[in-house]
Amino acid sequence: MKKNVLLLLAMLFFGLGVSHAQSRAVTGTVTSVDDGSTLPGVSVMVKGTTKGTQTDTDGKFRLEGVSGTETLVFSFVGFNSKEETVGNRSIINVALGASEGALEELVVVGYGTQKRQEFTGAASTIKGSSIAERPVQSFVQGLTGQASGVNIIQPNGLLNNPPVIRVRGLSSLSLSSFPLIVVDGIPISTGDVSSNAATNNPLGDINPADIESIDVLKDAASAAIYGSRAAAGVLLITTKKGKSGKARFNLDSWAGVSNPVRLPEVLNAQQYMDHKNMAIGNALALNPNAVPASQRNEKNQSFLPNYDANGKLIDTDWQDVVYRTGFSQNYNVSLQGGTDKTNYFFSGGYTNQDGFLKANNFQRKSGRLNLSHEATNWLKLNMNINYINSLNNAPNSGSYVGGAFATSGLGRIAVAQVPNLPAYKADGSYNLENNTVGRMNNLLPAQFPNAAPLIDLDKNTSETARFFTNLGADIRLYKGLSFKTSYSWDNRNTENVQFWNPYNGDGWSFTGYAYNNNIKSNNWNWINTLNYNKTFAEKHNLSLVVGSDAQKTRTTGWGINRQTVADLFFNNLQGNFSTNLSAGNSINQISFLGYLASLSYNFGGKYFVSANFRRDGNSQLSPANRWGNFGGISGGWTISEEEFFKNSDLANTLSNLRLKASWGKVGNGNMTNAYGSYSLFNSGIFGTVPSLVFSQAGNPDLKWETSAQTNIGLDFSLFKSRLNVEASFYNKDINNLVLDVPQSPSKGIPGNVILANVGSMYNRGFELSVSATPVIRNDFSWNTTLNFSTNKNMVTSLVTDDKGLTANTSGLEISSITMVGHSAAQIYGVKTAGVNPENGRRIFVRKDGTQVQYLHHGGVNLWTLMDGTRTTSPSTQLQLLGGTIPTWYGGFNNNFAYKNLDLALNFTYSGGNYIYNGSRAGLRDQRVWNNSVDVLNSWKKPGDITDVPRAVYGDNVSNGSAFLISDNVEKGDFLRLQNVTLGYRLPAIFGNSGISSLRIYGQVNNAFILTKYSGVDPEISTNGNNNLSSGVERNVIPQGRQFTLGLNIGF
Amino acid sequence: MKNITNKIGILTLALSMSLTSCKDSFLEAIPETSLSDATVFTPDRILSQVNGLYASVKSGSLLGGRYQIYNDIRGEEFINRTTNTVTGYTTYQGNQDASDTYIAAFWTQGYLTINRANLLLEGLDANASVISSDLLANYKAEAKFVRALTYFSLVQFFAKPYALDNGVSAGLPLRLKGEKNNENNDLARSTVAQVYDQIIKDLNEAEAELPNDYGSSTLLRTTRAHKNTAIALKTRVLLAKKDYKGVITEANKIVSASAPFKSSVRIQHELSSDMVSVFRAPYTGLENIFSSPMSINDAPGTQNQVGYYFNSGNVEYFINTGTTGIYSNPQFAATDVRKSQLTVPTTGISANPSSTKFSGVSPYIDFIPQIRYAEVLLNLAEAEAEVGSTTRSLALLDAVHKRSKGAVDFATLDKAGLIKAILTERRIEFFGEGFRANDILRRGEPINSFGAGALIQPSDPRYIFAIPVIETVTNKLI
Repeated sequence: MKKNVLLLLAMLFFGLGVSHAQSRAVTGTVTSVDDGSTLPGVSVMVKGTTKGTQTDTDGKFRLEGVSGTETLVFSFVGFNSKEETVGNRSIINVALGASEGALEELVVVGYGTQKRQEFTGAASTIKGSSIAERPVQSFVQGLTGQASGVNIIQPNGLLNNPPVIRVRGLSSLSLSSFPLIVVDGIPISTGDVSSNAATNNPLGDINPADIESIDVLKDAASAAIYGSRAAAGVLLITTKKGKSGKARFNLDSWAGVSNPVRLPEVLNAQQYMDHKNMAIGNALALNPNAVPASQRNEKNQSFLPNYDANGKLIDTDWQDVVYRTGFSQNYNVSLQGGTDKTNYFFSGGYTNQDGFLKANNFQRKSGRLNLSHEATNWLKLNMNINYINSLNNAPNSGSYVGGAFATSGLGRIAVAQVPNLPAYKADGSYNLENNTVGRMNNLLPAQFPNAAPLIDLDKNTSETARFFTNLGADIRLYKGLSFKTSYSWDNRNTENVQFWNPYNGDGWSFTGYAYNNNIKSNNWNWINTLNYNKTFAEKHNLSLVVGSDAQKTRTTGWGINRQTVADLFFNNLQGNFSTNLSAGNSINQISFLGYLASLSYNFGGKYFVSANFRRDGNSQLSPANRWGNFGGISGGWTISEEEFFKNSDLANTLSNLRLKASWGKVGNGNMTNAYGSYSLFNSGIFGTVPSLVFSQAGNPDLKWETSAQTNIGLDFSLFKSRLNVEASFYNKDINNLVLDVPQSPSKGIPGNVILANVGSMYNRGFELSVSATPVIRNDFSWNTTLNFSTNKNMVTSLVTDDKGLTANTSGLEISSITMVGHSAAQIYGVKTAGVNPENGRRIFVRKDGTQVQYLHHGGVNLWTLMDGTRTTSPSTQLQLLGGTIPTWYGGFNNNFAYKNLDLALNFTYSGGNYIYNGSRAGLRDQRVWNNSVDVLNSWKKPGDITDVPRAVYGDNVSNGSAFLISDNVEKGDFLRLQNVTLGYRLPAIFGNSGISSLRIYGQVNNAFILTKYSGVDPEISTNGNNNLSSGVERNVIPQGRQFTLGLNIGF
Repeated sequence: MKNITNKIGILTLALSMSLTSCKDSFLEAIPETSLSDATVFTPDRILSQVNGLYASVKSGSLLGGRYQIYNDIRGEEFINRTTNTVTGYTTYQGNQDASDTYIAAFWTQGYLTINRANLLLEGLDANASVISSDLLANYKAEAKFVRALTYFSLVQFFAKPYALDNGVSAGLPLRLKGEKNNENNDLARSTVAQVYDQIIKDLNEAEAELPNDYGSSTLLRTTRAHKNTAIALKTRVLLAKKDYKGVITEANKIVSASAPFKSSVRIQHELSSDMVSVFRAPYTGLENIFSSPMSINDAPGTQNQVGYYFNSGNVEYFINTGTTGIYSNPQFAATDVRKSQLTVPTTGISANPSSTKFSGVSPYIDFIPQIRYAEVLLNLAEAEAEVGSTTRSLALLDAVHKRSKGAVDFATLDKAGLIKAILTERRIEFFGEGFRANDILRRGEPINSFGAGALIQPSDPRYIFAIPVIETVTNKLI
């Protein structure tokens, strides 16, 4: 090692001492900035001459007869070119950085790839390397702020909770707005495949380190080739392929810690007792039975101090009981290489991540082999094999869709549990009383279970074993004509395991409860295409694709629910129980069949036109309407290729000037019900005999929901491509919305909804992506990318214009409405106007502006006008309180390289939306729950000006628990430093160790956030991907902040 | 050339394979775990649908738990222990609201049951030839019975009591037609009187067509309606209408003129000598005229079980031992079987007394008595006291009171005292069975709400439940 360093120094000194202006030989190695791997086939040209060479399979080059005044130009597809003045050097090692948005790039489009300069649609490409090092479970979490027009929200800090992705706004109301995810050609399932509290995002099955690139198809013309299911955009995931050359082995690993951030500050034990006892006094003055006599002492106090063995007041911070510092580690190894006939990529990955929520863990083991082989000069075979095992483990966080009000939800227990009670008794056993934490000296019982046994004894896991394979052949039939066939099989087996302990929590009333189920999803896809490429008369370039695409997904689930353990020894389903029930049984089958044709033509690289058409059938629609025709056209004009432009002065500063436009119509086949056209009867048991009940009102006319989109784009580069700008405008009209049309409950329609094609909406917006290289010097470079997107969502028709679609949070609280003339998912509740300084009552505002005030335990004076006149509850006076869809968002990414150091700063931002901070309603609820320290400012005496009403024990109305109030609605604007990475590439001093590159780095994820939002995080979605009830925070765990250290080694 | 032939061969093979898979049947996906509505009118499945009606009405959110609970916690008999909003806390406090989702669930399940009954009635007419005319009449009568029971249960909560103004106030939207498409969302409320008329019409028609019994099956005669069931329910409905003569007429069909009181026609209903046995397996004694069965495969569901609320399940509500509650009433002596054997002074959960009528623990599969012979007797006693024979009334009251070793001598009471004693006896006899609020409201008395700590007068909006918001936002005529 020491010798190598000396040698290096000697070479440097020697180099400096050599006189220049002589022509000589220059050698060097070209590597990738990204991973330090050597790059074969890089063009090395002497600037202004035709003299040049290419790097060999080891990335080395040698150029004879170069003079010191000359400049070498290194260029390679997919990388930014680099120029180096020779000077007096004889060895020039160059590291090329991957080009973000550079024009040479390929865009993966439907059933093939296209050069970016020929592509006339709207798409963003994100390189896998920008995600691989992030401490995430699924690649989607790393996409935040990486592409214009793509908005991603991580619902909360629960590991592998499916993120919310919106490509160019909300694409549907009742159907899924999640984009179609296509992995190496096969559309795969999304959502949460867990049936318990351990969320399981199937996209977490894909090892982010295996991903070469992610292409987001945003406009309808690009997506139309996936016609049937592309209404919400398409994410095309391409996994890595081997590159020709000698075998390269890479080891990448990281390890890190995660902590919860922005936790609310709640009352300590003394504050709690004082506050609650005061509230009890206030309540008893109004209602002598507000707290029964048996639940208070002679001083009308119910909350009394408890002391530990040392006589110290017990003061439990339940957040400490629930949260921790989570430790995570991640390893990937890959081997790749190939000959001119065969390429291979082999990888193995292991990740083991502990969440900051105790007992929350995610593990994934994956193996992949991607192989391609040219069997003959006309036959090329491809095969990808990927096996994954992913295991999700979580206690009941309450932070999954539908779990917000779970009594055992730890997100709420962490803040709402009574603080003067301990988790453990003096003897070390759990402090328990029935189904709650033990009350000890308190006279009123607590309401929530003790978090400690829930974390220790409950089990929720969701484990997926998944086999992905893809077999394909490319047959050259004739010059320019080829036939491609690709069969993909995605066989997923998910086992969900749940055990609730008999001592406390959800399992208590059952004396132990176990529920396991197994879900098998057999998904195959077969695509056959005939491709024709031809250039006529040198300038007419034509490409034609016709084909068919068939997919079938059959998902079957079965399971068992066992209740009441026969012996407390048992803590698994396999033990003995006295009640056994079948549960979790399901069969769903979906099939798609499509015929497609696509034509692209360009003239001399200046004029581009393409068109595609697709006819699709979908088994989920009514037999009469299941076929739909979709398609799109697009055109482009590369002005900068025109002679008149090239000859103008403008060409000196402006280059790659290009106009493009597209129009297309696609369908949304992401039905939430595979059998929505049928009216159904469910079979059940009445006592002991079979029963049949009307269970679904189907719609025999159900047809395609369609989305027609226009896209206009302008691309240009300035200052010799140092600054690249892509701007687009889009208008997406969605028609025949498949809606769960609300039925009057008095009609007795099961679920009170019928699916029907009614309604329409649009999304309009502007997207700007600017990438620039403000500084590029030998030892310092700065690349920056700013993307900015706007989105205006507008519902233009529904069943009727005056009645909206209401939606609730976790089935309990009406929180949102979608109405004509507004963006979807408006927060819907009762307006409030602060607290009456005279009496401390919350003031509510009716639709007509009348103010009414609330007095808990007020009896006939429960609701009064401001003059004291008795009146009725304003709870039906719901009004729109703000849109929840961000109207602007984006990312600002900066990459700096200084010598061997690299620094990346990724900012994300979003705003224009409102959030319903429902958690705050709970934090100020005047029942036995603990409160935020805000309540210390509650109204106490006439004249007090405060935003917290007088505390009356039991009051669940004044602060928004009973129904949503505008006081808990807040703006959601934020700027976040999503990720900071600082890396250092060790100089090439590894001697004969075989190591060719070594980089170490440190990362902070979610480094800081600037926002006025007072909840745990403005990036929140308690209702997950639900379109109609977005922008709600209700009793969830917060987001985490991760610190990681990583290592990349290449051999 | 050979190469080309090979390639064409492969291509043809691949294309033909891809086309074979692409038949129209490829897109056929028929539900495999539910039955399409086109297939449900075979003899067996029609019977299953009839069972489905009883299953709907006994849903935990309707008469399988929540109906009983809401009726009992509105008054003075119980005290809330857990302050949990989803277990009726607002109803207990008398500040229940149109936005309460648990009340909306009660409304929704009621109308789901009504629609299922309506659809079955229409389906039976359309498929009349599938079964015998006797069975057809039997099934239709059962559907009408379920519809009447459900309407009666809903109208008690969501409309002003009939007795206040002879039913002229707004009642319920009266849905009598099966609904399965997007139409007819808007329907105004009929008057309370119109709803009662429909209930009585259904019950009269049901009485005419229901069978006398279900062979020798005690389970079926307890869990499905027969003639006596319809008559018994009519006494409840007519009592709420203050049609005392009607109560006497109906009750006399199944109550003998004098003690020992029993039904001399069809099923020989009578009081069980042991009150406790009414609530214990097999739950099918002669006193249990109509009950909702439960089984491991058909349990009431989380937070719907009566035993979870009032007994050691979770003691959501414990017994009020204060002066306003029936527990401390002298008519409810410590030696009374209903206190000594159907309440306990403490439970593992609470230091306060609880009702043990529903004694089962998880999965809480005690049958729920909906109509007991004791109710018919007390309905009749009240009607006799009001407009008929106080002697017979006294005998009826004694029959119920003495059966449980009650020791009060009612013989000295005047008419008003007798009525008061009967009403008190109802509080004792039906404690925790879902009668309390209805017994207060049907007589237009104020609710002495323990939770509210006050009397809730009939003029107070809190006296009844408001129509839930989910109905008012979709039904413009409400």
